[in-house]
Amino acid sequence: MDFYFGLAQLIGVHTLLGLSAYVVLLTGQVSLAQAGFFAIGAYVAAMLTVLAGWHLVPALGAAALTGATTACAVGFPALRVKGLMLVIATLAFGEGVRLFFFNFDYQIARGDVKVGPLGGEGFRQIRFFPENGWTTLEVMLFIWIFVLLVMALLWWLDRSRYGAVLRAVGEDELAAQSAGINLTAVKVSAITLGGAIAALGGGLYAHYATHIEHLSFGILLATFAIAYPIVGGLASVFGTLAAVLFVQGFLVEGLRDLGDWRNLLFGALIVLAMNLRPRGFLDAGNLRAIKRLFWGGGRGAP
Amino acid sequence: MKKIALAIALAFAAGAASTAQAQEKSIRISGFGAKSGVVRSFGINGEAAMLAAADQINKAGGVKLADGSKARIVVDYYDDRCTAEEGISVIRRIAGTDSLVAVGPTCSNVAEPLFGILQKKVDDKGDSGLQMPVFTDVAIKVGLARISEWAFRNVPNEMTMYSSVFYWLRGKHPQAKTVYGGVEEDFAHSRATWHVVMKDRATANNYTLLGESKWLLNDTNFATQVREMKKANADVVAISAHPFTTCGVLKEMQRQGVKPKVLIGLTSSSSMETMQGCAKQAEGMIIPTSYAPVNKEAKAASDATAKFKGSADLHSMAAWENMFILKSVMEDMKISGAKAEVQADRRKIRDGLAKLRTTPGLLGVNSRTEDREADKPYLFVQAKGGQWVVIHNPL
Repeated sequence: MDFYFGLAQLIGVHTLLGLSAYVVLLTGQVSLAQAGFFAIGAYVAAMLTVLAGWHLVPALGAAALTGATTACAVGFPALRVKGLMLVIATLAFGEGVRLFFFNFDYQIARGDVKVGPLGGEGFRQIRFFPENGWTTLEVMLFIWIFVLLVMALLWWLDRSRYGAVLRAVGEDELAAQSAGINLTAVKVSAITLGGAIAALGGGLYAHYATHIEHLSFGILLATFAIAYPIVGGLASVFGTLAAVLFVQGFLVEGLRDLGDWRNLLFGALIVLAMNLRPRGFLDAGNLRAIKRLFWGGGRGAP
Repeated sequence: MKKIALAIALAFAAGAASTAQAQEKSIRISGFGAKSGVVRSFGINGEAAMLAAADQINKAGGVKLADGSKARIVVDYYDDRCTAEEGISVIRRIAGTDSLVAVGPTCSNVAEPLFGILQKKVDDKGDSGLQMPVFTDVAIKVGLARISEWAFRNVPNEMTMYSSVFYWLRGKHPQAKTVYGGVEEDFAHSRATWHVVMKDRATANNYTLLGESKWLLNDTNFATQVREMKKANADVVAISAHPFTTCGVLKEMQRQGVKPKVLIGLTSSSSMETMQGCAKQAEGMIIPTSYAPVNKEAKAASDATAKFKGSADLHSMAAWENMFILKSVMEDMKISGAKAEVQADRRKIRDGLAKLRTTPGLLGVNSRTEDREADKPYLFVQAKGGQWVVIHNPL
């Protein structure tokens, strides 16, 4: 079972990454900066547990706060541009963060060994879970508590006035502005929330992997982050979860035994999925059908 | 009637034979590494070497178990795509099977997190890390096995090898006094080999370091880096990079007319991939390696691996050696081979590997160190006419 618990841990971490992009996408903005926030969270949380000896929970809180602050600071200038320019700007930020950690050395002596980030060689021995005797099941439950909390928060936000404002900005900026919505405030708040969620995911990832390095936070991760909510659909937070399950559970793990064919099928199945479900796995129609199936009636769909 | 009786007898005989075959004991060894991406050749060759070695062991009767019976070795191999996340998933997956030991991974950036999720110290009740012996064949970055007492490596000691290279060069090319480095900066092995090993060993042997150029594993343009290299005009150019970018840099060096007196390469580039990619440009490059087909046993291992569509190099032949070392350890430690005792057998294998002080290797006897690393015999090979030719045996 340990393998499945381990896989569930990874799916949980990627779900947080996907949800961080989901919030930003609701406002119609395409951000490739999520991998950067994820990296910041990973390094901050790892440094606090390994170098400062903090417990993981406050370390994750500090990571999320740092991610949110960075995202807020980045959001103001970045969100002045739109569309492809925003994609390039956020990509540049993500790469900047990656290169920062590529050159970031901060090691302290712990007995006869040095611990801490060491530039391109990465940051090893982030062993909070095994050193505290956590089983794979316990780690999985710990990660999923955060995932469920974030999903619940976003689900609730989606039904609040704030959620309606986010979607209004995403649907038509001009109309939203005409209705008196402060576009900058909405967009920056969305990217700030996304930054906090990504950094939380990054903090958990660092402790899942025990070793992090700049290569783990490159353009591929940024692409995955944005792909999850797009493939899964923006109608609900559950779409992102469905996409992560499809990509990590089926495409990456399920097809592992296919060898080289896996890489070919990976791209082909993503294209196929997007052609068959252009609005994502879970669109508004699906959600209505699911509600009818479980609760009867068809009212109240978003 | 006689025909029917004969048919029934044959059917029973066939059934009995297949039952016997089904009851034949087997033990599983799982390999894992990169079978896709830029360094996929390492995984493909490693798997071929493991399959070839298992085939040879099985043909010779298999592995002797504690009860005196014999078991054949079954090998399976998983692709981790040289990524940490997938490496962790793969080792958890292997640990969930009846596999007794894992051989891998290919990439040092996978080995680091993977060793990190293993139990750090054996019998530490407070450490819930995975208890699975891992016997690494390829990931070569210096000093990784010390991360966990369940991690073992049979990879050459690059510190000794490059120390020997620079010492030998001083006598062979006394006029060469300066060194310039080229490094594939984003790959754990090549980066560590330049910054921790080559640079240090060159200066320790009184070479003057003139500078270094850096590039990335997926780079395809090296004009700027080679221009810097040309400007430095060093006597020795040391390239710490894998075959793909080594060839890119060598081709750019040819284009810009950079011709150092001595060209040194990374251990991992003493492979057929370099010859297939840039034999002409690599002409004269010197690399220390722990494998070359210089004796009957080494040639036989190479031929056997070729039958499984793999080529022999220092990495794949380490996988070959690992299989024979593991056979010996399993027999010495008297593993049961029973599915119900997988964890106990894994522990016996770990303890057996930890006890080893020497192991047989294709080039001679390999020493084992206290921190579960190997010190392997090595040779210097040089690219000549599309082949790697042995030019010096320092031992």
